Amino acid sequence: MNDPLSQLDYCASVGRSPWHRATALGKLLLALGAIAIAVFAPTLRLLVATHAVVWVLATSSRLPGRVVLAAAGYPLVFSALFVASRWDGTLATPLVLVLRPLTASLTAAWLVGTTPYPDVFAPLARVLPRSVGDGLFLTYRALFALLARAERLVRALRMRGGLGGPPRQRLAHAGEGLGTLVVHGFERSRRLYATMLLRGHSGRVCGCRHYAEWSRADGWVVLTAAVLALLSVLLWRAT
Amino acid sequence: MSHLHIPDGLLPFWLWGSGLLVALVLLVLSGRAANPQRVAYQGALGGLMLAANALPIGPLEYHLSLAGPIGILLGPLGAFQAAFAVSAILALLGHGGLTVVGLNTLVLGAGAAVARPVYGVLARVMRVPWAMAWSTAAGQAVAGGLWLAVVLAAARPWGAPPQAPSHLERLVAFAFPLWLLGLAVESIVAWGIGRFLERVHPALLPGGLTVRAEAP
Repeated sequence: MNDPLSQLDYCASVGRSPWHRATALGKLLLALGAIAIAVFAPTLRLLVATHAVVWVLATSSRLPGRVVLAAAGYPLVFSALFVASRWDGTLATPLVLVLRPLTASLTAAWLVGTTPYPDVFAPLARVLPRSVGDGLFLTYRALFALLARAERLVRALRMRGGLGGPPRQRLAHAGEGLGTLVVHGFERSRRLYATMLLRGHSGRVCGCRHYAEWSRADGWVVLTAAVLALLSVLLWRAT
Repeated sequence: MSHLHIPDGLLPFWLWGSGLLVALVLLVLSGRAANPQRVAYQGALGGLMLAANALPIGPLEYHLSLAGPIGILLGPLGAFQAAFAVSAILALLGHGGLTVVGLNTLVLGAGAAVARPVYGVLARVMRVPWAMAWSTAAGQAVAGGLWLAVVLAAARPWGAPPQAPSHLERLVAFAFPLWLLGLAVESIVAWGIGRFLERVHPALLPGGLTVRAEAP
């Protein structure tokens, strides 16, 4: 529960901000719009303004600051690499190279931190091939069970001296540990499939429609989208 | 090091747009061959791949990809779908960009797709752990090559002429040792996975008679 992944997932389910009450479809469209503006913004002013709007989203969603910073700050290392490779002596180029990915990752963290995963994946699964859409749900579902099992495995390896010795030996032990997770994954998939059949699996994992149940809180999503649209119109050509 | 850490907004549109298009076409084609039981197994191994990709094990957010072993166990089509699920979920968690999902899937999927046929050949002449290690190395080499090609293409500013060699040299100098390190680490881990599966559950490995009977 200490890693940012698990915390984001937890916040998405228990959060009480207006963003948590808004529908997933609206937030997904808003997030895609904000990322599109960040990626295609031709001027630094528009990029800075969009970045500020996304910070307002993130802070008003009441997600833990450490989690937001961990998720949003992830691209900084690689942005730094690109800044170094494209350095032209101006301030604008590095700012653009840092703000674009930072805005996008902050938007993604806001979306995932305010929306439970079945609601995020449900609209995506509608437009993807059936097996691929189902794969999204099943992969995410398997993740946390495997993370908990991996944690126990690492603890057991450490206690039995499996993490000592030269790196080659440690990596081989880690591989054997992952082998146990493969076997566990196989057994788990058989049980899961049997459960799916028992519950009358219709050929698609999620039939929920919560992702498109509009509420009053969606007014905030519409308002933010309007602000972003206005900023784009005003600042698209601003120098 | 076969996962593209490149976030949104750094790659030119033609690059990530065409990557997304090619990945979607391949997903539609591969989706026809999957049945629900198979999808459940892909989900379980995709979860393992996701856990490996999400957990850094060293500086610079270094992590395993497990593309080779997952490709060997699931086959190219299944591994490609798992790679897409992993890339999409990671992008939603701010780990790699949403616009780069297609390219990420292609890079991870290429590593997985190459590993399986190489394993098929090597498993006839050597023991499972070694076949798994060498086929993973082959997959990593291909995936790493693609990764490097994308990074070099991205290092060129949009619409600008080719850069001075010094800029590209900096990138290659940074990426090449990581690539080699990744190749070694992934291969040794694959060796361990192969060693365990050979002793404990050989039916999960491709090629055996029991595999067809038991594995989904």
